[in-house]
Amino acid sequence: MPASALLVGVIIIPLVGAVLTPVVGGRSGRAAGPWALAVMLVTSAIALMLIVHVANVGPFSAYLGGWEPPYGIELRFDEFSASTSVICLLGTLSILFSFKYAEKELPPERIRYYYTLLLLNLTGMIGFVVTGDIFNLFVFMEILSLSGYALVAVSGERTAEMAAFKYLIMGAVSSLMVLFAIGLLYALTGSLNMADISVRLAGAEKAPAMLAIAAFTVGFMVKAALFPLHIWLPDAHAIAPSPVSAILSGLVVKTGLLGMIRIYQIYYGAKVLDLSALNTVLVWLGAISIVMGAFFAIFQEDIKMMLAYSTISNVGYIIMGLGLASQYGVIGAAVHIFNHALIKATLFLGAGAIIYRTGYRNLTDLRGIGRSMPLTTAAISIGAISIVGMPPTAGFLCKWYIALGAVEAGQPLFAVALVFGALFIFVYYIRMVNTFYFQEPVHPEILEVEEAPLSMLFPVLILAALCLIMGILGRIPLSFVEPAVTRLLAPLGG
Amino acid sequence: MKRALTVALLVVVAIPLLYAVAQLPQHGSPMTPPYTHISPRYLEKGPEEAGAENIVTDVILNYRGFDTNGEVTVIFTSLAAVCAVLLGSRKGDERPAGEPSSSAVPVSDVVSFVVRLLSPLIAIFAVYVMLFGHISPGGGFQSGAILAALVIVTTVIVGRKQAEALVPVRIRRLLQVAAPLTFFVVGVSGLFLFGDYLAYPKTEGQMWLATAWLIVIGIGIGVGGAAVLASIFWTMGDDS
Repeated sequence: MPASALLVGVIIIPLVGAVLTPVVGGRSGRAAGPWALAVMLVTSAIALMLIVHVANVGPFSAYLGGWEPPYGIELRFDEFSASTSVICLLGTLSILFSFKYAEKELPPERIRYYYTLLLLNLTGMIGFVVTGDIFNLFVFMEILSLSGYALVAVSGERTAEMAAFKYLIMGAVSSLMVLFAIGLLYALTGSLNMADISVRLAGAEKAPAMLAIAAFTVGFMVKAALFPLHIWLPDAHAIAPSPVSAILSGLVVKTGLLGMIRIYQIYYGAKVLDLSALNTVLVWLGAISIVMGAFFAIFQEDIKMMLAYSTISNVGYIIMGLGLASQYGVIGAAVHIFNHALIKATLFLGAGAIIYRTGYRNLTDLRGIGRSMPLTTAAISIGAISIVGMPPTAGFLCKWYIALGAVEAGQPLFAVALVFGALFIFVYYIRMVNTFYFQEPVHPEILEVEEAPLSMLFPVLILAALCLIMGILGRIPLSFVEPAVTRLLAPLGG
Repeated sequence: MKRALTVALLVVVAIPLLYAVAQLPQHGSPMTPPYTHISPRYLEKGPEEAGAENIVTDVILNYRGFDTNGEVTVIFTSLAAVCAVLLGSRKGDERPAGEPSSSAVPVSDVVSFVVRLLSPLIAIFAVYVMLFGHISPGGGFQSGAILAALVIVTTVIVGRKQAEALVPVRIRRLLQVAAPLTFFVVGVSGLFLFGDYLAYPKTEGQMWLATAWLIVIGIGIGVGGAAVLASIFWTMGDDS
């Protein structure tokens, strides 16, 4: 199979799998879960082949319909697109985790549509990261946003519907901003292909180009939940079903960040504007996000609410790394997109397994759970030390790189903010681990609870193991994205 | 006070927006990039190399067909979202008992008669728009909307049971995804025959095949769009 056909397949197979899910799932929805799992396994295999290919030969393209860009749509797979792998991994594991969840929590009529939306959401994200055409990017953003709103509300509780509604309003405004910015770029360049825009933008008027990047930034930062555009996130991510929380927190917020990287690719290459002012704003907002998110997380009683605030904090790290615009900072940010997805999925799925077994979600109620669900809590603890960024876990190297990036950019004070944030994070995760293991249970029945069922335990343990493995093999992703980051930043050096 | 602040904020935001938009290349001028870069090829070569007289159809179904493939998926996503949020709602969420539901209001005889009279004509028009989208303004999306309007009006006049017969239950799930599936079939055919997903024949002798595929996709979008819109209408109207 030629690589271009595989590149199309990585979008088309989950897409067709998604639209067929209601047909295959049947009235009871019982077949929908295994079907979705099979679809994601095939997609993961394709994604792996693509990543091997990009590692061997570098970025490559597929021209849809055989029309060469800029006349047709180009799919472009570069090192940043390799985040397809983590989308497939988390997607597969979340679907597996959903088997028991959906059976217990969802009305049977909804089950097949639940899996349909999960697959559509994953398809949207895969399309988003592999496309080389800016309007095509918007189309996939619509797919992933719409399915995301519905997934938050799927449990049918009043609070979930309110959270989804809030998410919908914020998300719709952000989509509008992005569409507006695409319109501006089209008016300036007459093109929709990213590489072509980058070339043609060089001679364009400055003011509209500046408005376009501002609108892109606001739009994508709502999706990424950067302070002060984060207000929709805690409710939506905490109230959604746990497998959905894992996908939203691990992956969907990252599409905003990857979208931002795509915009940087266009603007850095075009050299039409000096972006240092924007970068300064982003670094500051990133630093505020780190501290604010971590600070609010300390006061949360609800375990999932705490994790949701921690996502805001971690998005701050990534934005800070991107805004520093130094080699180390951007590499750290790009790898943290990947590592944070693994870590946050471990935590959300682990929390989900505990909530599934006990029915409690407040820390006080969960005292002593470490004794009855030892494997799940061990996995959560690994996730917790990873997210703090202790060596030898997945969180360490990327945060270290971002800190190095701050020094490299001549702004060591931000490295201090970073360490400060890590300390806050340390406090709240220590509090969580302490609750699980060392406090006397409030509810005696918590000691009688069984360990999570295998279809939930397996994804959680795999992810926890990956948190450790990515810590030890952390150099591999770092050197993998390095050429892409060098290409991205090359125009700045000259 | 709050209102004054809102107005002030809007003004502050509006000034740079207006300034930047004023700097854009003049809207509608034939010398600006949107008219000089890509469009000339679409306009000059579209009918010969893309298979349809209607250049809009050339762009949305051929040159940028993959976007449309995504858009029909967005439409399907909205249906999946409605079903996932509304199907099997728990009791207690319903409106208080005793409040009259909309169906309790009798339909006027005049409206009923006019709808019955027009229905076949609406249907014929929808099919015309669907099949002639490659020549004249129209196409799958438009005909899908007309068909869905027909189904919805019929539901209101003759009741849901009879209207549902228009979208048979046994194949309804397939009809709802007709649009993305048609794209998939045409796309994969293109992949095997011409080497790229959604590739259409480009040589002059095979133009008839390109046109035929455009019509097939048009039918898929029309039927699929109508089924999705009608299903959303029914799902949202469900009282149970």
